[in-house]
This record gives sequence, structure tokens and C-alpha cells, in this order.
Amino acid sequence: MKFINIVIIITIISLCCESFGFENSEHVGIVKSVTGDAVILRNGHTFAAEVNTKIFNNDLVKTGSDEKIGLVFEDDTIISMGSNSQIIIEDFLYQPAEKKMSFVTRIIQGTVSFLSGQMGKLFPEGIRLETPDAVIGFRGTRVLVKVE
Amino acid sequence: MLKARSNSNTFATAGADFKEIWFMSKRSQILLLLVLVLFVGNCAKRTMVVLVPDPDGKVGCITVSNLAGSVTVDTANQATIIKDQKTLPSAPKELEKQTISSVFSEVITIQLLPPVHFILYFQRNATTLTPASVKLIAEILSEIRERNSTDISVIGHSDTLGDKDYNFKLSKSRAIAISNLIVKQGVDQHFIRTTSHGEENPLIKTKDNVSEPRNRRVEVVVR
Repeated sequence: MKFINIVIIITIISLCCESFGFENSEHVGIVKSVTGDAVILRNGHTFAAEVNTKIFNNDLVKTGSDEKIGLVFEDDTIISMGSNSQIIIEDFLYQPAEKKMSFVTRIIQGTVSFLSGQMGKLFPEGIRLETPDAVIGFRGTRVLVKVE
Repeated sequence: MLKARSNSNTFATAGADFKEIWFMSKRSQILLLLVLVLFVGNCAKRTMVVLVPDPDGKVGCITVSNLAGSVTVDTANQATIIKDQKTLPSAPKELEKQTISSVFSEVITIQLLPPVHFILYFQRNATTLTPASVKLIAEILSEIRERNSTDISVIGHSDTLGDKDYNFKLSKSRAIAISNLIVKQGVDQHFIRTTSHGEENPLIKTKDNVSEPRNRRVEVVVR
């Protein structure tokens, strides 16, 4: 009887933690434009990317042929991706009051436009675009990248 | 590479009536795909990075680095090409606008509305809006509806008069007051993220303990 009680309590606690964790994980951006069936890979699951789909840290955003997508982030950064492109949002953190800011994006393949937002003005050192063979450090405004 | 691919496609179409040839072509396609994968796999990925002006015409500055060193690009429409990790990114070279618009046509043509920021001002030491800011609420609501926005930030701020903890609470109450106001007007509360920065993020930098009306504010960002 006691053992069952403990099991029940543990289960309840772990369920609470899980839902609490879910509540706590905040989105970092949002899909604002999409053409075709672009997708988001998150924790091993694949979602269709639609207008207003939220973007979280560690999401892989992927477009196929004739597909493109536009993302708007919490600091006003705009990322546009052309067809056959893949990026991972590795680390987005925007807490200007605590001076905690970083935006690391990995471009795996394709064409990408990165137009910096508030972080570009407040803390450009925190912005980094990683490509397979080089890292782009950023001090403001707009850059176009093509990884073949 | 492209040639071989189109040959195989023609082969496939021509042989559509003959099962045997179709089968052969299928096999050749698979073979071709395998060669292609191996080729791409062995090939270093070539990366091109171009610095372009933002929509306001402003040009920033980027540094492109790898194991071989780094290259700075600070002029509009200049590009650097990276062959591999151990080769220094090429010296920046200006690209013709036509080249940029053809290589990047897809991403350039995506038109996204940049997020809109509204600033609402408050009476001193209160969560009551100034009369001018009350009028802005209608504008905020129409912007949310026009964009069909599901992502709205409400960020509370205070001036530096009084102690930090108090100001944090005050800025939080201001943000909550605005959030409630918007929800009352029919915006789903799940679309709103409410945060507060206290006196840490002033619009106008002042010394501590300064009453500054322009810092007593709530920022509303509609995406």
C-alpha cells in the first residue's frame, strides 16, 4: 500500500514537472510567411510550418524545392529562407534588462537572409551565424548567405 | 553532372513503354544518385556571404572567420567566398546588384512586416495611462487584428525614482494592466507575453532616483 502511494506521488510530481517545464519553455520566434510545405524538426518530431507556428530553441527549419519561409524573432530579427534550405536555431536568448543576449544560428544548407533586430543594436557581439566552413560575426543589419 | 542527369531523364521518358528499359533506367538513376551523393559528400560545401543594406539603407559590418583566419566585410554588396575550413575566406569583392538579386531572388522577395512597437506612458507612480496613451490602445488593437497577430509582447518599465524592487513591481503591474486591457478587448491572452524590466532598461538614461516621464512606460510589440 505504502509502495503504491509512493509510486503515485512520484508519478504526479514528474507529470507536474513536465507540464511546468513545458509552460516554462518560451518560444523565440514565429513563422510569419510560408510557401509550400516547409517543416520544423523538434525533439525528433516533424511539424508542418504554418503562419503563426512558434519557433523554439534547437528547432531545425527546413524547406524543400519551391518552398520558402520567413521567420520573425522576439528581438525583431527577420530570417528568410529560400528553397532546399536548412537552419537550426541553436541559441536564442533575449533578456535586455539582465543584459543576457545571444543569437546563434547554424546554416546547414541553402540560401538565407538574416536581418538583425534589437540585438544588432544592443549587443551585436552575441550574434553568430555558423556555416559549415566559417562563422559570421555580426555588427548590424543585413547579410545574405548561400551554402551550396 | 547536370548533363548526365538530363540524359537519364530523357532515357526514362523514351523508355516509358518498355518495361525492361524502364527498369534499366531506374537502375541507372539510382546509380547516378549514388554517384551524386558521393560527389557532394566529398565536395567541400562552398559558402558565399554577402553584406547588403537593410531596408533603411543602413550597412553594417561582418567578420567571417574559420581555421585559416578572418576577413571583415564593411561595404555594401561585397561578398566573400569560403572554400573550406582551412582556406581563408576570399578577399571581399563587390558583386553586381543583378548577381545578388538572381542568386538570392527567393529570400529577397519574401516580404515580411517588421514587428511594430508601441510605447504607452503612465502617470507618476501609477498604473494609469496618460490621456495621449489611452488613445493608442485602439491603434494597438487594430494592428493586432490587421496582422492576425498571435505573438504580442507587453513589457513594463519604470523610471529610477524609488528603489529597484519597488520599480520592478510597479513596471510589472503596468504591464499586467495593459495586458488585461487588451484581453478585455477580445485578444486571446495566450497570444500575449507579459514581462517587466523595472528601471533597468530606460528609454532615457538618467541617474538613480530621477523622475522621468518618458521612462514610465509599457512597450507593446505586435508581431
